[in-house]
Amino acid sequence: MLFSIHFFEGEEHMQTSGPVVVMQVPEILNVKEVHNFMHELGPLLESNRPRIVLDCSLVCSMESAGVEMLLRCLEEVLKRDGDLKLAALSREAEVILELMRVARVFETFETCEEAVRSFNAIPADAVPQDAPWYANVFNELGVLKQAS
Amino acid sequence: MIAAIIIEDYAGRKDETRVCTQEMAPEHWACVDVLGRPVIGRLVDGLKRGGIDAVFVFADGKCSPDSKSESDSNSINVWVAAGSKLDECGDSYDSVLIADCGTYTEFDVAQMLAFHRDQGRSVTQAFAADGPVDLWIIDPVRFRERDDIRGALTSGPAPYEQGGYVNRLRGPRDFRQLVSDSFNSRCRLRPCGVEVRPSVWMGENAEIGRGARIVAPAFIGQKAKIGDDCLITRGTDVERNSQVDFGTAAENSSILSNTYLGIGLDLSHSIVDGKYLWNLRHDVTLEITDPAVMRPNAVSTESRKWSEFENDAVGLSA
Repeated sequence: MLFSIHFFEGEEHMQTSGPVVVMQVPEILNVKEVHNFMHELGPLLESNRPRIVLDCSLVCSMESAGVEMLLRCLEEVLKRDGDLKLAALSREAEVILELMRVARVFETFETCEEAVRSFNAIPADAVPQDAPWYANVFNELGVLKQAS
Repeated sequence: MIAAIIIEDYAGRKDETRVCTQEMAPEHWACVDVLGRPVIGRLVDGLKRGGIDAVFVFADGKCSPDSKSESDSNSINVWVAAGSKLDECGDSYDSVLIADCGTYTEFDVAQMLAFHRDQGRSVTQAFAADGPVDLWIIDPVRFRERDDIRGALTSGPAPYEQGGYVNRLRGPRDFRQLVSDSFNSRCRLRPCGVEVRPSVWMGENAEIGRGARIVAPAFIGQKAKIGDDCLITRGTDVERNSQVDFGTAAENSSILSNTYLGIGLDLSHSIVDGKYLWNLRHDVTLEITDPAVMRPNAVSTESRKWSEFENDAVGLSA
């Protein structure tokens, strides 16, 4: 089984780690397919700050081994300060994830492009949190007062 | 003297639109337990209570385990067999009620019979707001057509407007609607069991584990097992011989007979039958191949479904 992997380069200033990797999840995620899939995905998980999008558009059947694999992958990437996101979930995949109570564990997106873009969004911790949003307004008021 | 002929003609209806994948659906929603008893069994009960002297059931091969023929030919066979029975009825019965039980319908036999006699026609058919219902009363002596009974029944009958509840049972969505309507008293179908708390019914030998919560309205069928710390809520029915394992939550769902539902699951807006799952919210049908998640219990569903009502009927099958 061949799994398609696409690399998406992030914007220059956001390039704090490697590219976002998009990987197609196979149609049936049983024990055998999980083994093959992990063979491909395994090395990517071990990179520095891995950023992975799993394209689940083809998934029509997923056994508990598949769900377990997704959770294990998420755990691995989070350990390495990376993230794993699911994209284009088929209705079947969505139902299975809900059934197995893991739907809320993953960040999911309608399309792979959206999922890739989400990695390049400015993270909350990149915005200075020490001054409130209205701080500038009061500074400007102070300047006005002094001028008058 | 009045007789009734009940026909379960799955093959004759197989082209009708269903909500989910037809191939995976139970062949007869009318033969599937709904709150402890299948629709076909309830129809037999209702007719007997309504004063019908004899009830004959003709079912195609998908419903009866005894038949070996293909369903298409059975579709013809059930009507042919019904025709033969009609011949016999001519001598003994004044009127014969014919019902194709694919639709759940509530009607007053006496009222329909009175209407039929008033009209003086050989055939009377029931009509609901959304069209004709497969329910007729005929006079066997005056009804001469035997080769194409179905065609004759539908050509120019006296239309009887029946104001009762009708559910066409075209697929899983209709099935869930019937369960919901029963729980909310929108129809006369009542759960078979003891109402242990307001709107919580339990069948004989049903088991509820420690810490399990059953929130009304809910139905736990005969010999069903609800594991420890489970949650059964919002109009869920767990039919007979089914098992919901530890910590699983089921909301607004039907767990059909002889189904095992695994540990720690979250089932909502669905119908589960063995390894098949119909999710009505996402409008998707799944075959779950992982037996740890869901699987059929050991009892054969086919023979169980048929045996449910076959002993109740006076006559039997094609």
